[in-house]
Amino acid sequence: MKNKDYYQIIGVPRTATQEEIKLAYRKLARKYHPDVSQDADAELRFKEIGEANAVLKDLEKRAAYDLAGESGQEFQPPPEWGGGFDFADGNGHSDFIDSLFGRHSADRRGQDQHAKVEIALEEAYSGVGRSITLRVPAIDEQTGRVAMQERVLNVRIPRGMHAGQHLRLTGQGEPGTGKGAAGDLYLEIAFHAHARFRAEARDVFMDLPLAPWEAVLGCTLPVDLPEGSVNITIPAGSVAGRQLRLKGRGIPGQPPGDLYAVLSVVLPQAVSEAEIQAYRSMAQAFNSFNPRSPMKGNSL
Amino acid sequence: MNNILAGSVIEEENCLTLVELCAASNASEEHVISWVIEGVLEPVGDTPEDWQFPGHALRRTRLALSFASHLEINPPGVALALDLLDQIAVLKARLRRTGFHSFAGHR
Repeated sequence: MKNKDYYQIIGVPRTATQEEIKLAYRKLARKYHPDVSQDADAELRFKEIGEANAVLKDLEKRAAYDLAGESGQEFQPPPEWGGGFDFADGNGHSDFIDSLFGRHSADRRGQDQHAKVEIALEEAYSGVGRSITLRVPAIDEQTGRVAMQERVLNVRIPRGMHAGQHLRLTGQGEPGTGKGAAGDLYLEIAFHAHARFRAEARDVFMDLPLAPWEAVLGCTLPVDLPEGSVNITIPAGSVAGRQLRLKGRGIPGQPPGDLYAVLSVVLPQAVSEAEIQAYRSMAQAFNSFNPRSPMKGNSL
Repeated sequence: MNNILAGSVIEEENCLTLVELCAASNASEEHVISWVIEGVLEPVGDTPEDWQFPGHALRRTRLALSFASHLEINPPGVALALDLLDQIAVLKARLRRTGFHSFAGHR
């Protein structure tokens, strides 16, 4: 495995001062902060620059890293440096290691830990089981050394959870020291991007494209929802942008969310003679219609 | 063999005390108090001992802590950043509602 070039990741020369490293890190952290950045791989970059910064900001660790680079050895940050702690399914941050090594008081409750879990929107309607792999440092009782261990948790994510909500797993966080109880594990729920549905808390939105005659004349359409198929009645005279609310068809809960079908109108292309003729007849029938004059009742 | 774990959902109405919020977010009480003073968090109750934070305060506190520790933003800066993120979220939600979701991302 090739060593990561932490200087390159942070974007500074090897001769950079601590102040320059700090400034460069801060700029990159701002750029790739997962809650700010629009970048698709922001979370990965943020983690990477975090790991580089954890080493370079500390003179002792930076010296060890430089030395390993000069001698051509493979550089592996020891677990007590804070790198390597990770949740395989999602993204976790913890100062478990620092706190483990930094404090020696007995009988202390373990810290709470966090991870993000992505589920499909449909799974929020039904509830779902997830297997979560945690890579956690643990003390080997025989050697007394810290080693990374994998822990697999099978978690039931109950029906009705929505993005941004947390699930607390009591006692599944950092182990306590002495007789201290273990901390809790918090799982933040996020939804996978869905091709058809968009969730906002418990409300769910979907696009419903209509042919012009369906919008104007009204119709009943079968529509697939996360929980199954329903028939939706489109009232006559519907316009693009109108939202039809299906009460209680959002994410389940007390109360459940609603589902909104956002109407759009799609104009068919006229290719055959009959189709072109249909548009011509329409133009004649609507000869007083001017789409560029402001229309009543169509304000945004 | 692992059992299947069932957790408890942190609902909006499941209010957290200052101590619980600090434990759950890994933020210090000093940090949380400074964010309450700046209006980042709005607990119910008069004194820190009485404060009750709604469920969504946990995510907000984690975000504030991340801004403070990674970006070295002070409490007024955290308040401004979170206010602007709130505004962006409202605008994105409005875009999503009207069908312009490709501009609004999926976060």
